[in-house]
Parts: sequence; C-alpha cells; structure tokens
Amino acid sequence: MESKPTWYYFAPTLLALGGVLVAANAYERPGRMGPWGAAAAVLAGMALALGAVTRGTQENAGRRRAAESVRAAIVFGGLILVFTLSMTLAKALGTGETGNASERVTMAILGAFLVFTGNAIPKALAPMSGNADREASVQATQRLAGWTWVVTGMAYALGWLVLPRTVAEPMSFVLLPAAMLLIIFQVVRLRRTGQRTA
Amino acid sequence: MSTGGEGGGGGGGLTIFRYLAKYRGMDSVFKALSDPTRRRVLQLLRQRPMSAGELSEHFPVSKPTMSAHFAVLAGAGLIAAEKTGRTITYRLKMSVVEDALLGFAHTLGWGKKKGAEGKAGGNSGNRWRAIKKEA
Repeated sequence: MESKPTWYYFAPTLLALGGVLVAANAYERPGRMGPWGAAAAVLAGMALALGAVTRGTQENAGRRRAAESVRAAIVFGGLILVFTLSMTLAKALGTGETGNASERVTMAILGAFLVFTGNAIPKALAPMSGNADREASVQATQRLAGWTWVVTGMAYALGWLVLPRTVAEPMSFVLLPAAMLLIIFQVVRLRRTGQRTA
Repeated sequence: MSTGGEGGGGGGGLTIFRYLAKYRGMDSVFKALSDPTRRRVLQLLRQRPMSAGELSEHFPVSKPTMSAHFAVLAGAGLIAAEKTGRTITYRLKMSVVEDALLGFAHTLGWGKKKGAEGKAGGNSGNRWRAIKKEA
C-alpha cells in the first residue's frame, strides 16, 4: 500500500486540535457559547468535506487535483482557526496581551493561501482546443494570473507581518482588488480574442 | 527514508533540505532544470505550445535525444504532452515556483560545463545514453 506523505495528515491534525481548542475555550468562558458553537460548526463542516474528499475516487486527475485543493483550503482554514482559538484561549487564561498579533498572523496566513493557490494556477491545464493562437493566449493568461496571485499574496502576507496596521489595512484593500481586476481584465481580453478567432 | 547515506554530523541542515527536495518530488525538477537544452525547451514553450518536431528544429541533436529530454521534463511534471493524430504537442505545466526556478537556473547557468556550448550535437550516442539513464 502506498504510504501517505506527512502533509496529508496536516488537515485532520489541525481539525482535531481545533476541536480541543473550542472545548477548552468553552470551558474557560462558558458564557459565550455562540462563538464556540459557530467555530465547532465550521470545524464539523471542514471535517465532513475532508471525509468526502478522502473517501472519493482519486482515479481521475481532475478529481485528484480538486481533492488536493480542498485539502489545502482545509489546512489553511484550519491554521487560521487554530491560531485564533489559541490566542483567544491565551487571553482567557491571562497569559499575556498579544495586541493585534492575532489579526496580523491571520492575514499573513491568508496571504500564504493566496501564494499557494496562485502557484498552482499555471499547472491547471484544460484540454487543448486545437487553435494554436488561443492556446498561447490561455497559457499567457494562466501564467500572468499565477504570478499576479503569488506576488499579491507575498506582498499581502509580508505587509501584514511588518508594516504598521494603519498602512497594512489600506494596502490590503488596494492590493487584492487590483490583482483581481488585472486578472479579470486578462480573462476578458482572452475571451474577446477567442470570439474573434472562432 | 534514506537520504543517500549522508548520516549525521555537519551535513544535518543540508540533509534536511535534500530530504525535503526528494520528498516533495523537487529532485526531479532540479534534475530537469540542470540541463541547458531542457531549459531552452521550456523557454520555447513559454511562448506557445509546440509540437515535438517544431521544438526539435531548434536543437542540433538527434530525435531520440530530444525525446529523452522531453521524457525527463514530462517526468518532472514541467511539460504536458497531448497527442493529436501523429503529432505530439507539448505545453508548459510549470507552477510559479518552478517558473521562478527556471529563471534562476538560466541566470546562474546551472549544469553548464566549460566548453559544452555548441557541443550538444556532438557525441550524441553517449549523450543520449546519459539522458536515457537520467530519465
């Protein structure tokens, strides 16, 4: 039987850790059952999604890729949840005021997720259309989208880690929409070129 | 997992990196990028997908040698091949990190041997055997 790589166990480990942290938080602050219930529901949803992709057939390359992206999303989502719950628990236990470190790290994890997803964009290939010009445009658009997303994610993560909050906040408001607009513009241009050549 | 018998001692840090590279399948990527001909193939494919024949025209090497290069690149997951009729079309399948690595490899001239320039076609038998072994 093929052995699974270590990262394969990240998602279930993070979900289990998240469950423990929700229980610990609920024990420490039983008066706020709403947020703990919501966190538990999110964790349960993630566990269900993980179970579905783990049980699903992996014979087809497209399905395998989809399962991997779901797994990656669960890892990043789990990281954010675990970190936030740990900070909340630390605060409840009075082990030190962390300022806005929780927010900064959460944003940095989001940036890392953008880098991760952007990195994989040029690798996701659709079946070839047979039109050489269109193929070249599709490839160029995918590469541009991938690079844009990766650079945006890196800037986003780094910005939230090192810049003052007053700068990091407007930066993220500008960076993400700008990257999205650039990618949308390229996709629209690609579609128009495709319609002209068809 | 064996890491090539490097054991403990001073090479510990490097061993971890080698282990990670091997574990994440990156060793095949580094191997593929270490050859100037294969890097040139990837650079040509950056422009547009091309058939095996079109790509081969750019290199003074035999078709079997080129096929072996294509096999190494496909094995590393850097290119994808699609067969339509009798034509095999290759296209890029590089992630952003791999694309950046290609840029670094090209800038730093990985795998370039002194006097190797322009000798790609020479002694193609030995070269083909070496590439086949790599693949």
